[in-house]
Amino acid sequence: MSIAKRNPNKDQVAFASAATTGFTRSAGEVTQASLALDACVKAIEAAGIDKSEVNGLIGANNGYIQAALGIPEVNYYVGAGVPFGFSIANAVGAVASGQCDVALAYHSIYRNASNSRSASNDPFRARAFASNPNAQALGDGFGPDTVGGAVGYTAWASRYLHEYNESRDLFGYIAVNDRSNAQRNPAAVMRGEPLTMEDYLNTRMIRWPLSMLDMDVPIDGADAFIITTTERARDMKLKPVLIHACTNGQVAQNEEDQTPSLTHHGQHVTVESLRAKSDIWIDDIDVFFPYDGFTFITVSWIENVGWCGLGEARGFIEDNWDKETNRILIKGRIPVNPHGGALSEGGTQGSGHTREAVHQLQGLAGERQVPGATKALLPMGGFFFNAQGSVLRTE
Amino acid sequence: MAATSTEESDAELLERFDNVRLDHINKHLYRGLLHKELRLSRCSDCGWWHHRPKPICPNCWSKNLVATPVAGTGTIHLLILLHQGPPAEGVDYSTPHPVATVELDEQEGLRFTSTVVGADNDDLEIGKRVELDWIERNGKPYPVWRLANDGGGR
Ligand SMILES: [Zn+2]
Repeated sequence: MSIAKRNPNKDQVAFASAATTGFTRSAGEVTQASLALDACVKAIEAAGIDKSEVNGLIGANNGYIQAALGIPEVNYYVGAGVPFGFSIANAVGAVASGQCDVALAYHSIYRNASNSRSASNDPFRARAFASNPNAQALGDGFGPDTVGGAVGYTAWASRYLHEYNESRDLFGYIAVNDRSNAQRNPAAVMRGEPLTMEDYLNTRMIRWPLSMLDMDVPIDGADAFIITTTERARDMKLKPVLIHACTNGQVAQNEEDQTPSLTHHGQHVTVESLRAKSDIWIDDIDVFFPYDGFTFITVSWIENVGWCGLGEARGFIEDNWDKETNRILIKGRIPVNPHGGALSEGGTQGSGHTREAVHQLQGLAGERQVPGATKALLPMGGFFFNAQGSVLRTE
Repeated sequence: MAATSTEESDAELLERFDNVRLDHINKHLYRGLLHKELRLSRCSDCGWWHHRPKPICPNCWSKNLVATPVAGTGTIHLLILLHQGPPAEGVDYSTPHPVATVELDEQEGLRFTSTVVGADNDDLEIGKRVELDWIERNGKPYPVWRLANDGGGR
C-alpha cells in the first residue's frame, strides 16, 4: 500500500468563480460545446477578469472552446474526464506547478440517444455520438449478462442489502433528500416535482434493486469555473474558495465484478489519502456533497467518510432527518447536496456539486445558503474507476 | 493454451465472434466457449487465477498464463434483476432477467458473471451455490449458471 499523503499545495490554488447554464431535459437546438461556452462566458464574467487572462483550459474539446471564446493564448489544455474531481486535481497540479496561471475548467452534459428516449428521436443528437468510441457496436459477447459499467453499482447495492440485511427504502431517503433540496434550486431540472418515500417505493424498477429514481437524471446543461492561485484569486471579484486538499482513488481489482468488497474499493483509497492531506474533516464542515450518480453511492460515501460505521447509514440518516423539510440535516445544520445533486438538479458528474460548494462558500447560494458556510467536503465518484474527493474552504 | 487439432484457428474464431472485441489476450477465453469450457487465465508459475484476461500475471508478472478450465462451481456474490435492457437473443426482461456474479471455488475473489437459468427469480439469492451450465445463444455455446442440486448456501 502506498497512499499519497503529501499536500505541498494545500490552500494555494483556489476557485475564483463558478457558473452554470442551469439544467433542463432539453435545451433545444444546442450542442454540447454551445452549452459549455454559455457556462464559460458566465464564469469568466463572474470572476471579473478579461478572457485574455485565461491561459489554461480543462475540459473536453478545448481547442474548439478556445477558438470560440477567442482566448488569445493558452499554455495548458487537457480533457480531464469525469467525475469533475479529475478536473479539480488537474487544476491544482497545473496552477501550482506553473503550467498555467488562470484555468478555465468546464463540464457540459448533453442528453444522448443511449440514455434518453426523447434524445434518440433527435437525429442530430444521434449523429453527435456516432463517432464516440463507447458507442461502438462491438461488445464482449455476453450481452446484458454483465455488471460492467453503471450496472456495477446496482450489483454492489444488492450485495449491501444482503450483507447488512437492509431494504430499498434506505436508498429512498437519498432520493427524497435530493428532491427536497432541488425545490430550492432554480437551476434544478426537478424543481417543481417533489417526491415522497411512497412515490419512491412505487417507481418503476430498472435493474433490481435500483429503480428509475435511484439513477441520476439525463439533462442538458453545463458548469464552468475559474481556478487560479489563491493569491491571484484575492484580486478577482469574488471571495476565493481554496482547494485545501484533493485526491483520487482506485484499487488493483477495479473491474466491477472483481472489486474486492464493500470495505475495499476506490472510496477507501480516496478517504485514506484525503484524510491524510486535509486538516479539515467531517466534524469541521458546514456543507456535504457526497456523489449521487446512484443513491447507493451516497449511502456508501456517508459510511466511508465516517459519519457512521459500515451498514449503519440507516440509523445515521434517520437520526439526522429533518421532518419539516423532508431531508437530511446533519446535526440539524449540515445539508447534504443542497442543490439537489445529480439525482434532482441533474446528472452533472460532479460539476454541479462543485459549483454549489463554491457558491455556498462564497455566500451566493440564494435561498439554499447555509449561513456562514466556510468549509465543504466533496467525496465524489463511485467505487471502480473514478472515486475522488476534495475539501474546499474559505480564508 | 496449446491449440489442438480440434481448436478453431484465429480466423475461424474472429468469424464466429464477429461482434466481439477479440484480441490476442482474450481470444483463449472465447475459444474455450466453443468447446463448452470456461477457460480463465491462470499463472503456471504461481498458480494465481485472474479474470478478465490480462497479458501478465497480476500477482507475479509471469507471462506463462494458461487459459484453464474452471470446475464451474461457486456461490452467488452479486445478483441483479434486469427489468429492461437492449434486445438480446433468449433474454426476457419481463421475467425479469437475472444476472449473477459468481465467486468461483478456485480462488477467493475470482468471479464470473452470467445469467441464471432454470430457477424462479424468487429462489435466487446471494450466497446460494450454483453450477456452470451451457445453453445455445447466437448459434454458439454460452455459459450460464444453474442453482446447484445441493441448493444450500455456505
Ligand atoms: Zn503468477
